[in-house]
Amino acid sequence: MDDQGCPRCKTTKYRNPSLKLMVNVCGHTLCENCVEMLFARGSGSCMQCDTPLRKSNFRVQLFEDATVDKEVEIRKKVMKIYNKREFNFSSLRDYNDYLEQVEDIVYNLTNNIDVENTKLRMEQYQRENKDIIQRNKAKLTREQEELEELLLQEQQSNEQRRLEVLQEEQRQLQAKRKSKQALLDELEQSELPATILLAQHKVRAAQLETQIEQQKQNVKPTTRFGIQIGQTVSLQPVPRIQEVLYQYKPLQVETYGPPAPDLEQLSRFGYLNHVRAAMPQDTAGGYTSALACYRAIQDAFSGLFPLKG
Amino acid sequence: MFHNSSQKKFWTFKNEDELEQMRCIANEKFRKKALDSAKPGIIDPMLLGRHEEDALFRYYERRLLDFCNAFKPAMPKSVVGTAIMYFRRFYLNNSVMEYHPRIIMLTCAYLSCKVDEFNVSSTQFVGNLLQETPAGQERVAEQILEYELLLIRQLNFHLVVHNPYRPMEGLLIDLKTRYPTLENPESLRKSADDFLTQAAMTDAGLVFSPSQIALTAILNSASRAGLNMESYLTECLGLKEDKETLSKMYDSMRRMKTLLKKYELPKQDEVNIYKQKLERIHAEFASSSNKRKRGYEEDGHVAKEPRLTEEDWTDEDLL
Repeated sequence: MDDQGCPRCKTTKYRNPSLKLMVNVCGHTLCENCVEMLFARGSGSCMQCDTPLRKSNFRVQLFEDATVDKEVEIRKKVMKIYNKREFNFSSLRDYNDYLEQVEDIVYNLTNNIDVENTKLRMEQYQRENKDIIQRNKAKLTREQEELEELLLQEQQSNEQRRLEVLQEEQRQLQAKRKSKQALLDELEQSELPATILLAQHKVRAAQLETQIEQQKQNVKPTTRFGIQIGQTVSLQPVPRIQEVLYQYKPLQVETYGPPAPDLEQLSRFGYLNHVRAAMPQDTAGGYTSALACYRAIQDAFSGLFPLKG
Repeated sequence: MFHNSSQKKFWTFKNEDELEQMRCIANEKFRKKALDSAKPGIIDPMLLGRHEEDALFRYYERRLLDFCNAFKPAMPKSVVGTAIMYFRRFYLNNSVMEYHPRIIMLTCAYLSCKVDEFNVSSTQFVGNLLQETPAGQERVAEQILEYELLLIRQLNFHLVVHNPYRPMEGLLIDLKTRYPTLENPESLRKSADDFLTQAAMTDAGLVFSPSQIALTAILNSASRAGLNMESYLTECLGLKEDKETLSKMYDSMRRMKTLLKKYELPKQDEVNIYKQKLERIHAEFASSSNKRKRGYEEDGHVAKEPRLTEEDWTDEDLL
């Protein structure tokens, strides 16, 4: 957004990132301050295209490219009139043709092509399809209302759950306090020895704890559902896919020669006696004389036997 | 390791006849190309025949060996072995007449230093050409760098070469550990080394695996010293039951020894005649196709001179 400046005061946009750009029906932008200044009297003309404008026509720019904003506005207006939906048409081809028409109109109005004719076409359409437009409008409002109702319901149920949880906690706290108080009272009044009373108290407290745990368990599954009203949930178990387990097989390499001893067995067989021992400088890097010996032996045995056939 | 290397897959052949065939094909290809180019100077008797090419190849191979042995700092044996193997492989598919062995041999040595991680800068490398002036050495360095990519491509990018030196070490260690019958395996080392150097000058590396060559070297030097190592093969290598493999191994060893015996250095006067012919052929081809992109040097000798005088450095300059 920062690369676009206000065409009038130019620098202000960069210096003040919080400043918003406003767009109007002709598609040109102005920053808030400039709008105030130019349209203090309420109406004026755009400085780039000279179309007469009103201050109320200015809306905060949502998109980087002002032409996009312009198109969005135009589209909103057009869709208010052209609000047929798929069930209004007999075939998919007709629906697509209708949509193509709408796009043409929006395109023309946005790019100022053939504005007059387009407007005439729109008016004609409006007149012809007045009743359908009304019906669809009503339907739209009804759908929107339904959606809003659903949202409200969900919110309410969330609130309720929260309250219930709070209450539950409070009740548990109270229960605990009561049992403590009861213990103190018993210690005062009863004649049984203190240890037995303490033991009883402990047992009761444990029971209470388990009760609370169980309640929590019961509460959890019901609140995790969150299913929307009207949807069904598939209760079939997820199919288990069982494949053949991987078995490790060590790599077999054909060396065309006698088998060479392993690295670990070299010292045992006495090979290392015939190799130069590793000096301390060499071992620092991880070198052992076994490595050189192993390589020499491997090389000696690799490919020793002639190939079969 | 050798058993899954490119050397085993692509550069090991069944016998020497197959190799001879490949070389003949290369020769033929160049002949055809030369005669087809319809140049006035090119006539059939002018081109080298197969045995002449072979003599030149052996001569230049010997020069390569001497160059590597005289190299300062001292070149490890594996580098020498790799260089000779590259030289051999290159001329398996290409003709001596097409690419002059003088340049190719230096390129082989240079590439082998790089591949075997024997770090020598190009200036240091050409500094070993003692007969050259520094300017001449620079020219050689340029030529080497030009031919390097060609060499790599002709080797089919298979740059790892398994030499028989490490297998020989391994076999000596194994002998010392598992074969107490032989008292002093170290005594076999010197003559086995000589055997290996000689084997490098033959086609053995292209037919047999390096461990087989090493084993033959050791058995050969043992038999020279009068020691019998048959039991090593049967006992330690586990070949007591496997008579077939054993007989095959003896067979390959015999073939290898024959290869070595057949080798002989070509006579100097013959070589001189062939060299002259070669120079003439190269001059004919070079004068028409001047591949060198010169003309951006500051000093006096720039592209306008004919190619013959460029090749100022002759074979004598190498040592």
